[in-house]
Amino acid sequence: MSIRLGTVLLVLSAVACSQAPPPPPEPPAPSKLEGMWSDPPPTAVGTFCFFSCTDAGIDRLNALLDDPANDKRPFPQLQAEAAKYQTDNYLRPRMTEAALKTYPLDPADDPGFLRCEPWGLSKQMFAPHQLEIRRVSDDQIDLRYGEWEAVRTVYLDGRAAPAGPPSRLGHSVGRFEGDTLVVETSRVAAGITWWDAQHSDQLRVVERFTRSDDGDTLMLTATIEDPWGLREPVVAKKIWRWAPDQKITPYDACEPATEFKKGTSEP
Amino acid sequence: MRLLRVFLLVLPLLVLTAVKTGAHHAFSPVYDAKRTITVDGVVTQFRFVNPHAMMLMEVKNKAGKVETWNVEFAGRLNLEEAGWNAQTIKPGEHVKVTGNPAWQSSQRMAFVKLVRADGTELEPGRAQRLSAIEEERRQRAQQRTQPAK
Repeated sequence: MSIRLGTVLLVLSAVACSQAPPPPPEPPAPSKLEGMWSDPPPTAVGTFCFFSCTDAGIDRLNALLDDPANDKRPFPQLQAEAAKYQTDNYLRPRMTEAALKTYPLDPADDPGFLRCEPWGLSKQMFAPHQLEIRRVSDDQIDLRYGEWEAVRTVYLDGRAAPAGPPSRLGHSVGRFEGDTLVVETSRVAAGITWWDAQHSDQLRVVERFTRSDDGDTLMLTATIEDPWGLREPVVAKKIWRWAPDQKITPYDACEPATEFKKGTSEP
Repeated sequence: MRLLRVFLLVLPLLVLTAVKTGAHHAFSPVYDAKRTITVDGVVTQFRFVNPHAMMLMEVKNKAGKVETWNVEFAGRLNLEEAGWNAQTIKPGEHVKVTGNPAWQSSQRMAFVKLVRADGTELEPGRAQRLSAIEEERRQRAQQRTQPAK
């Protein structure tokens, strides 16, 4: 009798097990990149790359800093000189005739300034201040920026871009190569680059995010291609500092510009 | 109501003079970075918002008439990095503010420095950044002059 009861219980328990809902999926393992990042360390190169920079500009800045003749010159002057060198010797030579026709764009014509229109990809990916990297599911990472409270979604399953016109931030797919997150973005609407040139909707960007060995900084190397605007790719860099206490605060008080002057340039 | 009208006219402007520290648009169409002016008055409002924090203050002009001045700061995203919060500047405070004047408006400026009634100074985060860079430059210069081992 007891053997029969045991058998029944075993069968019932096997049936119960086979009908139990599957266990919840394991949360994806956090990568080394996840968390909150913000403005770069207060170093000369970090400050030069506050928005974005290139190796050509960094090398020029370091050469200026290493020249004793510049020791008494204020840093902003050296920074401006390195930025000009970067423009004249790296960016301009890579631009096509078509893009050079309107370069540099008048800062007073910036849609963000005139109409509070958020940035497109080519500026947003270098936005100053906070960047939060968050793995939201097995196949999705969100990049949340303080500037404009913009959110970019990076799909890790390689899905194709949705049908329809290109969008402001484009369609991004990503993969990990070791600890480096590689993000490829296309289908970006025509807009303005970080160096204030026009770009077409043929823009393609490959971003590589890597955390430093000491964990304190996040490096972005972005390769930007645009057959309409660029003769050859522009490789741009940016640095963020690990900032777990930082928060992204509401970006809700933008007012369209009403009083301004045309034809100025940044100091 | 007048204050509100003035406030609504405020442009969302970048505060930048010595070191570019990024913002949502360029500084130059609105402010003259080559000039600075200083005004003395009483704070009536400080808004700690993005993309740019804003302050209204009442300032007596040379004829003794009270004018409303508008001071633009970097955004909250930026100022919090430098340790500022919504109470960093309080209505009713007597302050002296230095800034870059606007091209098109006579009572507006981009913040450079604020001195409180007790003499303490408030500077944007870029001042701390510049100070750290100058220390880095001193160390670089020192290493350059040291004989190679």
